Amino acid sequence: MNQNTTMNVEITGLTRRFGSATAVAGVDLRAGPGVFGLLGPNGAGKTTLLRMMATAVLPTSGQLRLLGRDPAGYGPRREIRRRLGYLPQNPGYYPGFTVTEFVEYFALLKEVPTGTVRRAVATAIDRVGLADRRRHRLRTLSGGMLRRACIAQAIVNEPELVLFDEPTAGLDPEQRVTFRALLRELGQHATVVVSTHLVEDVGAACAEVALMDRGRIAFQGTPDELMACADGQAAGDTPLERGYTAALDRARS
Amino acid sequence: MTAGMRMLRIELRHNAMALMVPVVAVLFWFTTYRRVMAMPPLWNLRAAGLQMYSVIDFVTPLTGAAAWMGSRESRRRLADAVLITPRTRWARLLAIWAATTIWALVAYLGCVAVVYGMTAGQVSGGGPLWWPVAVAAASLPAFIALGFTVGVLLPTRFTAPIAAIAAFFILVLSTELIGHNIHSYWQIAPIVAFAWNTGSNPGVATFYPYLPDLSIAQVMFLAGVAVTLLGALALVRESRVVRAAAAALAAAGLAAAATAVLLVGTSTMDTHGMIRIADLHDAANDQPVQFTPVCSHTDIPVCLNPAYAAYLASTTAALEPVLNEIAGLPAAPVQVLQEAATYRMDPHVGEEVTPADRNTNGEAVYHLLLPVQMAGPTLTTAQMASQVKWTDGPNIVANFIGAGPGASQAQNAVAAALTMILGRMSADPDLQASLNEDAAGGPGLSQLGGLIRGTPAQPAAERFAALPAHARRAWLASHLSALRAGQITLSQLPGAQLP
Repeated sequence: MNQNTTMNVEITGLTRRFGSATAVAGVDLRAGPGVFGLLGPNGAGKTTLLRMMATAVLPTSGQLRLLGRDPAGYGPRREIRRRLGYLPQNPGYYPGFTVTEFVEYFALLKEVPTGTVRRAVATAIDRVGLADRRRHRLRTLSGGMLRRACIAQAIVNEPELVLFDEPTAGLDPEQRVTFRALLRELGQHATVVVSTHLVEDVGAACAEVALMDRGRIAFQGTPDELMACADGQAAGDTPLERGYTAALDRARS
Repeated sequence: MTAGMRMLRIELRHNAMALMVPVVAVLFWFTTYRRVMAMPPLWNLRAAGLQMYSVIDFVTPLTGAAAWMGSRESRRRLADAVLITPRTRWARLLAIWAATTIWALVAYLGCVAVVYGMTAGQVSGGGPLWWPVAVAAASLPAFIALGFTVGVLLPTRFTAPIAAIAAFFILVLSTELIGHNIHSYWQIAPIVAFAWNTGSNPGVATFYPYLPDLSIAQVMFLAGVAVTLLGALALVRESRVVRAAAAALAAAGLAAAATAVLLVGTSTMDTHGMIRIADLHDAANDQPVQFTPVCSHTDIPVCLNPAYAAYLASTTAALEPVLNEIAGLPAAPVQVLQEAATYRMDPHVGEEVTPADRNTNGEAVYHLLLPVQMAGPTLTTAQMASQVKWTDGPNIVANFIGAGPGASQAQNAVAAALTMILGRMSADPDLQASLNEDAAGGPGLSQLGGLIRGTPAQPAAERFAALPAHARRAWLASHLSALRAGQITLSQLPGAQLP
């Protein structure tokens, strides 16, 4: 990675423990503008790492700098949050809200300037392809549409750091293709960290990828470098899946 | 529109309290409206009833709704998504609390408008009391803050029903703990409008202004509780500045609530039946309310406070037989005038209302205390008139004749005879039947009857009562002074000389 690029995410020795369980163990990571994929099996620590990057959880130890600021302080944390978009793994919603109200609610919480809220909401809804459903209540939407509404709330403030946790779960193939295009578009100006275990998403949209296993970074590089990890023994239907399996096996051996 | 107002607008559209408004309205109609409107059309009575019943109606469901709203973010798995937004958690939570409170207040004030609007068309004097309304209104944000805080701290789907039930029991148990103790701290409960064990008391706050002492303490307490709870919500996950401000706010709220409770502990009951707190008392409220009485057009006018004008016809009808009997005679009262009830504390039974005891023999004005001025079960107009007839009728006669213990047998016989006449005459046959329902047990008749029963005075009284009215009047006109002086014997009574 080019060291001159602005690093929106700088993580050094980041650890998070829940009681005796260590979810994230000494992770080092740097990411600049672009789409960054975070791969790993279930329980690898991806969600915990993402939640720390979202300032929802404090690290137990280690250093974390986001958008050039240390989120440990209240003031910097608030400034980070103003420029942050986050889609949790299981995004909740208020069933009685319309799509517009839901996105507007988050625009207001994200302190989008009052005069631009209406336009920002319309743009976000349009970007996720829900313009024709903007007046519909969330309870009437399909699972895929709901996820898109939640993506809209995450990007309504034009964030500089976007964190998506399993964003394509529940989307049909056409929507996933559209979403990958959105990821690439967002990545032109912001750092987009996408946590997923769907390697095809990473291959299609990410410029850089990290593979997590048991709370540690098992691999970090480009998707091509991940593919290159594959040997003849690795399981998988695509070169990227074989590289993913081989990198995991290598980390565990 | 500011961001805060836009958030509030969204919260107002999607607040659980909005869905509870019809429920509260039905509850209000069933348990408050019907009871309050069944009360006599007196502002004081209906205002107190409205405060007592409506607080229970509103507080239970709205505490549950507030707890539901407080737990919303966690129940809907939005805790992380909203947590990582820059707007302070406090502002976000306050918007939800404010929306819940606005819906509750709108619903409550709507109910007040209905009751007061209907009452305004029925009452004959006085004006609406606003302090009881203020107390009930202040209880809404306080209980909403309570339910909301519980919902935020314990965000489960069971929190709302548990909070609602707990709020109900807090209110009910608080009144159980008051007992007969006028100094009880529990009088701070917002359903207490007057001294608790006298109940809704029609005699209070008509002749004297409503004392707002207790209401002020209650509003102070409720505001303190609300501010404390809302301040406590910002003691975590906020900036140092916000936490400090919230801590100061919570401390101020706590101090206000504690002060209010301590003030209530110093309360006493004044002679007008209202709770007086010396440190909150305004001496101007001790001055009687000026009013022009409404009077009947009888020879001896019956005059009532205009607030009780609805009772004038029945009261006059109840007393008319005896008033007609004595009107124009020497020592007859020139007026029957309603007076304020006097209250006193009894160390054993608590507060008691005492009937007027200012009537003396031969006084020009007879002081009347209507039964509806005293605590007790709500009386129908006929029941009230019957009590007037059998309490005040004999008293008027006794004062007129000078009868009673220590009087001559002739005095007691004549008084008993005139009292007997009470049961025989009335212009309205229906009212007459109603008035005579308990004639045999009439307290006044029993009392006077007890003085002459089994004595030679009893047949003398019956014979005197049997005289034609003009004969009785003629005899009284010429012999009343001697009778009152005890100079007439039984044998000198006109009826006694009949075969």
